[in-house]
Amino acid sequence: MFRSRKCNVLGAVTVLASLSLAQSVWSEPGVGHYGYGQPATEEQIAGWDIDVRPDGLGLPEGSGSVEDGEWIYEAKCASCHGTFGEGVDGYPSLAGGEGSLTDGRPHKTVGSYWNHTSTVWDYINRAMPYTAPRSLNPDEVYALTAYVLFLNDLIDYDFVMDDSNLAEVRLPNEPNFIPDQRPDTNNERCMSGCKDPASVTLVSIGPELVIEEQSIDAVIEVAAAGEAVYQQYCQLCHTSGLAGAPKIGDVVQWSTRLTKGIDTVYRHAIEGYQGEVGVMPAKGGFAQLTDDEVRASVDYMVQESQ
Amino acid sequence: MNKQAELDSLLQDVAKSGENLTVSDRRAFLRKGATFLGAATAAALSAPSVRAAMPPTEPAYGKSLGSPVLANPYGMPSKYEAHVQRRTVEWLTPDRISSISFTPLADLKGIITPSGVMFERYHSGLPEINPQEHHLMIHGLVERPIILSMDDLMRFPSVSMTRFVECPANGGMEWRGAQMDRLQFTHGMLGCAEWTGVLLSTLLQEVGVKPEGKWILAEGADGSHMSRSIPLEKALDDTLVVYAQNGEALRPEQGYPVRLVNPGWEGNTCIKWLRRLEVGDAPWYHREETSKYTDLMPDGRSREFTFVQECNSVVTNPCPENPMTRPGKIWVEGLAWSGRGKIKHVDVSFDGGVTWRQARFTSEVFPRALTRFGIDWEWNGQTALVQSRAVDETGYVQPTYAQLRAARGENSIYHKNAIHTWQVNKDGSVRNVQIS
Repeated sequence: MFRSRKCNVLGAVTVLASLSLAQSVWSEPGVGHYGYGQPATEEQIAGWDIDVRPDGLGLPEGSGSVEDGEWIYEAKCASCHGTFGEGVDGYPSLAGGEGSLTDGRPHKTVGSYWNHTSTVWDYINRAMPYTAPRSLNPDEVYALTAYVLFLNDLIDYDFVMDDSNLAEVRLPNEPNFIPDQRPDTNNERCMSGCKDPASVTLVSIGPELVIEEQSIDAVIEVAAAGEAVYQQYCQLCHTSGLAGAPKIGDVVQWSTRLTKGIDTVYRHAIEGYQGEVGVMPAKGGFAQLTDDEVRASVDYMVQESQ
Repeated sequence: MNKQAELDSLLQDVAKSGENLTVSDRRAFLRKGATFLGAATAAALSAPSVRAAMPPTEPAYGKSLGSPVLANPYGMPSKYEAHVQRRTVEWLTPDRISSISFTPLADLKGIITPSGVMFERYHSGLPEINPQEHHLMIHGLVERPIILSMDDLMRFPSVSMTRFVECPANGGMEWRGAQMDRLQFTHGMLGCAEWTGVLLSTLLQEVGVKPEGKWILAEGADGSHMSRSIPLEKALDDTLVVYAQNGEALRPEQGYPVRLVNPGWEGNTCIKWLRRLEVGDAPWYHREETSKYTDLMPDGRSREFTFVQECNSVVTNPCPENPMTRPGKIWVEGLAWSGRGKIKHVDVSFDGGVTWRQARFTSEVFPRALTRFGIDWEWNGQTALVQSRAVDETGYVQPTYAQLRAARGENSIYHKNAIHTWQVNKDGSVRNVQIS
């Protein structure tokens, strides 16, 4: 026998080993052994306890319609996820792909792959919108969850989602999740004559070696202040062109803006600007940046776009 | 220009730009098609700056004073090691904020990954957290929900253990065929460190888990509030609430000021910037354990909660970044690891898996840690197919690609631990291939 059957994830070894330990954590009410830290109050727990489960446990009171969700989606989600949930520039698509899971290129979306509606609510609430997580109120999250399900033809346009009916909306792929089945291979430790040498052929070849080392000078050069600001605050929109932002490295887009003079570009970046093709929030929405930091980042983008 | 003159000229360029020949310079020869070896070495030795530092000449740095103490209050690697750095594959993610960078395995020694080059994985970028402002809340099905400051956490008894952390997507770009051009990208979502912190079992004992408690939800404080459900059995086994890595505070990239480490399990369960642990009676089925980090099978079904990182290994010398320099004896090295325990054997093949020889361990062998192996090889200058195959203490033998694909198809993304093949070419260059 080459493999112990006792070693699956929650296998006998782990369970046996933990039983004795487990006794010790079933403590009695009272004070802890060390007594460190402070008791968590109900109010404190409520502030951070944001998780939601498939059975609906954890959902706050609230409701939102598909129609409400459509407005919020257009304003806050469509720039990355696309008007129809198709995904833009590599950001995730949210709809489509039904029946594609056995294809050569499966298309995994909320409708084709996800298993619980609660996961949609939980994820929007915990991490979306991408650039402003935890900024939505519960009603908005219900509305967006409903709209994403509508995009997948799973509910009608007049549906209003709330904490009492969310768990009843089941996703089509829910039955298709199964437990871990590994180990699922059974190789043997053969040492000689393991295969016919004539049968060894290349079936796949990686790309030709294209390793290009940067020169040491380039690598150890300290990133300029503008680049640092750019990387932390500006790059998300200015590498992807989100919200009509001029992309770094795009000579045409930047030279068009520079016809107004660099001071105008600085001012638009600092004070905000509604242009013909897009919107620049004041300082990109990061009010903590100094004007000099914003100018330095503009300088960096201009320098990289000539 | 003839070959020798071309080489001499190249070497002189190199000598001008750096004090020493570096690994990357060696690569430059191969890249530019120079057929190497004896000639390259001889030419290298004749380069002016190298010659000036060789016996019988006294090197310049032996005839002057060096820098004082505290020139670098926090020491950094030599500037000649600046090529040892994390790198990313731009097409993998739409931006660098929710993205990944890779550990430069080809340049590392031993089994400890230096904290500064350990791979990064962020879902909402790298948060900057003041530890004075950070708290860990433990609540749910417990007798005494508590909030711990970092000072509170560090008062508990601490434990240190050397364990690997690996993203389950490591190697995931290779399911359909060889694709990446360097070891850093085929296996670099991997690192190993000495982690110090408090056993989660200690904290659970402190709060008193109620009898119906079966699962733990771990949640990060960053914008993604990354969350994973972890079975209580694991939490009581060896899960560590970590605040230090390799003897110092965690680096921000690794979760400063506090993270989880679930030894041997998917890296994404090792929640960074940890702010909350909740005990519940069932898993939460959050996005990172349903939409992502589930393994799609050919029949359209998906495996969930595939926690363990199974036994795996790879040869690190030679590899694309470490090409062969000359025929003759070469010390072949590599790394092996298993999420189920200790590595028991590693075998190496130079003929594409027809014959194997057992390598020897050249590091300490810890459970669920990187283990370094090595073996002598006499390279005859001909094309070779170099592989390593690890066996862990459960008897599990690292599988072939054919076995993995037969079991899981090509669309499961995660947990690709197949025997890897490097093709050594006659010119010494090394290429990523897959063989029948």
